[in-house]
Amino acid sequence: MKSRVPIPLRKLIKDKQSIKAEKQRADLNQSGSPSSSETLTNDQSQNSSQSQKRHQASPNDRTKLIFSDLHLNIDHIKKTLGNSSDIVTRDFCAGKNGEIKMAIIYTEGLTDSASIQDFILDTLMVEMRNSAFDGKVLNSFEWFQLIKSRTLPVGAIMEITDFQKLFHHLLSGDTMLLMDGSPTAIALSSRDWADRGVQEPSSQTVVRGPKDGFTETLRTNTALIRRRIKNPNLWLETKQIGEKTQTDVAIMYLKGVANDKTITELQSRLNRINVDAILESGYIEEFIQDEVYTPFPTVYNTERPDAVAAAILEGRIAILVDGTPFILVVPALMVHFLQSSEDYYQRADIATLIRLLRYLSFFLALFTPSLYVAVSTFHQEMLPTPLLISLASQREGVPFPAFVEAVLMELVFEILREAGVRMPRAIGSSISIVGALVIGQAAVEAGFVSATMVIIVSLTAICSFVFPSNSMAIAFRMLRFLFMILAATFGLYGIILGLIVMVLHLNSLRSFGLPYLAPNAPFILQDQKDNIIRMPHWALLKRPRLINKKDTVRGDASSPKPPE
Amino acid sequence: MKMLKIFLMLPLICLSGCWSSIELNDLAIVTALGIDKTEDGYLVTIQVLNSSELAGDARSGRTEVVTFTKKGETIYEAVRSLSTDIPKRIYVSHLREVIFGEEMARAGIGKTLDVLSRQKELRSDFYMTVAKGSTAYDTLNVQTALEKIPANKIFDALENSEKRWAATRTVTLDEFVNSIVSKGREPILTGIYVYGDIESGGEVLNAQNISPKSGLRLDYLGVFKKDKLVGWLNKNDSKGVSYITDHVKSTAVTIPCEGEKITINTVGTKTKIKGIMKKGEPKIKINVNSEGSIGEVECKFDLSKPENIEELNKRYAKDIKDKITGAVKKLQNEYQSDIFGFGEEIHRTDPKAWKRLEENWDQEFEDLEVDVTVDARIRNSGTMLESFQKEIEE
Repeated sequence: MKSRVPIPLRKLIKDKQSIKAEKQRADLNQSGSPSSSETLTNDQSQNSSQSQKRHQASPNDRTKLIFSDLHLNIDHIKKTLGNSSDIVTRDFCAGKNGEIKMAIIYTEGLTDSASIQDFILDTLMVEMRNSAFDGKVLNSFEWFQLIKSRTLPVGAIMEITDFQKLFHHLLSGDTMLLMDGSPTAIALSSRDWADRGVQEPSSQTVVRGPKDGFTETLRTNTALIRRRIKNPNLWLETKQIGEKTQTDVAIMYLKGVANDKTITELQSRLNRINVDAILESGYIEEFIQDEVYTPFPTVYNTERPDAVAAAILEGRIAILVDGTPFILVVPALMVHFLQSSEDYYQRADIATLIRLLRYLSFFLALFTPSLYVAVSTFHQEMLPTPLLISLASQREGVPFPAFVEAVLMELVFEILREAGVRMPRAIGSSISIVGALVIGQAAVEAGFVSATMVIIVSLTAICSFVFPSNSMAIAFRMLRFLFMILAATFGLYGIILGLIVMVLHLNSLRSFGLPYLAPNAPFILQDQKDNIIRMPHWALLKRPRLINKKDTVRGDASSPKPPE
Repeated sequence: MKMLKIFLMLPLICLSGCWSSIELNDLAIVTALGIDKTEDGYLVTIQVLNSSELAGDARSGRTEVVTFTKKGETIYEAVRSLSTDIPKRIYVSHLREVIFGEEMARAGIGKTLDVLSRQKELRSDFYMTVAKGSTAYDTLNVQTALEKIPANKIFDALENSEKRWAATRTVTLDEFVNSIVSKGREPILTGIYVYGDIESGGEVLNAQNISPKSGLRLDYLGVFKKDKLVGWLNKNDSKGVSYITDHVKSTAVTIPCEGEKITINTVGTKTKIKGIMKKGEPKIKINVNSEGSIGEVECKFDLSKPENIEELNKRYAKDIKDKITGAVKKLQNEYQSDIFGFGEEIHRTDPKAWKRLEENWDQEFEDLEVDVTVDARIRNSGTMLESFQKEIEE
């Protein structure tokens, strides 16, 4: 299992590592890599990650600067990209007499051709010809500045001096403007690609509440969050992770509310990721989680922008990964997985009752089969006599022991569930027919399983769908089998032992330094207002205590009153 | 290495074996236990559920319960030896009813109680009864209507009649043993007997008749002295006992009225017993508070007049008082058995005096002065005030 290094030692190692990293950075700067391009990027973390990445990349790429000669550049780009057919190169001459040789390069499919046509080509080729600039008196550097500052009606532009960045922007959908005689390229934002669009999230549905869900596009997702929190303190830091995929990963938090230490810790954990591909936020989750050997998730994921906004407002940090609608939120406590965002949209009384109902369902989902096995094979005297009689008559003629019967039926159900998820939509309905007939009826009629067992499996199944978060439901699904084994070997004693071990384990878990079971263990009286019960919003005036320490007050409201 | 250790530990859990586990379908669930006396031991009868006949679809028309019986020197031995007759493990946790044959009860049941208290499998929530004038074997061989399991029928009938009729009593093992070992209280048990044709009672057809040829019926209370049955009480005395021991929840009280009858439905009764030591002589004061409503009127009595109701209240109180004094007289004179727990009351009042009285409590009980005051009130007259009996005659 995981080797446990005592904390001071760990810190030491970390310090050593950071010293090492700094040294490497210093080396880099000395070796003459241009730092001017870096100052153009607008945030610090990107800087450091970029330099780190460059260190990891092959030395050729790292030092390769853009040439002054246009054709040399085009040739290099084409050669590097293997003449891929979706890379479009258009060279042309601009200026009154066509004295400036230029080229634009973009990736077809990732760009908005109309805007390239209207705002880049049209401006450079047509309008510049009619402009009053006298090309003869200007050198290529002045031309470059002039074009950059006066002729390009494009929102985001960026000067680029090395090929690595050029390729990154090119392949992200930006249009590259290269000019003969200038060792600097301009990246013009023209990103636009086929997008699924904002749809209702399929994994977490609500009756009351916003119906929009995240999409696969990072920018759409950040916009969905920004639309909810219009605050200058909502900060967004972006970096690329994945040597090959160069996936954009952004962290979003409310500066001043989020704990700075958590932010630093998250940044350092993200920086540590050294892998060639990030295709989904699940990759990131596995790299940054606190504890590996646990069935319980310590990173929250959701498809709902409102849930992320609420988490950010609590002082938690969202991790957005390009290419997936599932956004990660850290730190994640056990209670977060057991609460639905709808709890906050419904009135407090029904929200509380539904939470209680949900907790009951969690209990049932985890323990129903094991309790049945334990009671029916070890503790028959615990049952009321009429219930025992009816259970005994159901069991009459069943060839398997209760445990085997239970495991068998649970397995069949798990298979059915998996099949239901994987199978093509068109034949989806047949699975329910087969499942209902095979498990529900035929097995009982044939006498293979008792009707009680079918009821228990269905109850477990229904209860496991109550979980607002699928990742917690998965944990409970796995543990259910463990508890069944314990029940079959030791009865209720085994279940209680298992429960104790489970609670001990949960107590040992941390999510970004926060105790996983907070606010239950450690018990925080103030946070009980939004734990098992949910008080009305005017009573929830403090943010959860452990998550942030600074800006803890939400507002100063009081209970609504009728007019005097 | 750590993984290897965990891997090696896994069999410890999995192979430890489920030594105490048993599947539901391997249990012979015993619902009733009958104990009769033989010359050199016991005749034990157990009633086992045939669970596949009780619920579910696969019913074959056999009986819902099966009775097995065997002789043995001790009860434990007899029950164990029944394994030769029963293909499943005899499981007594869900025992509902223990029935003693009358002969057994008269000879003393103290020795049989040990095995019932000792077994860890036995829950102590079953009720005990005596088969009046018969054997437990015969009593357990009757099919009952409405309730498929005879033991459940007895169990429920005992609870129901204690609540609604007050002339029977549910007695659990603990209560019974406590009464036996206490010097200031003697035990009672309710009697049960088979009515109708005993021979055909065991047939499946019996319960299929609209009017069953035979069945089980609860009788009144049986009086014990120590662990021996000494006699039976009648209806009024049994009710009197229930009044004294504050076990009347609801019952029917019939009082005379102009040569006809009025029946009052008692809705609440509270009894307070107080022991008094006066000049070294024990004395018991019983105070009963009873409330009721009119349940049935057969006479032309004008219920709208308050003085008439007052008159009824007096008769109502007198009826209760008569029952109580009747029961006390009977037990003092005929059985000399303090089933009311008067001795315990004296013990509580004056522990020092009790030490002196304890030895001779039977005699003391016989001469005990019992003072009864009853306050009974009729609270309402049902849905009518005056009866239409007058109009019928006119």
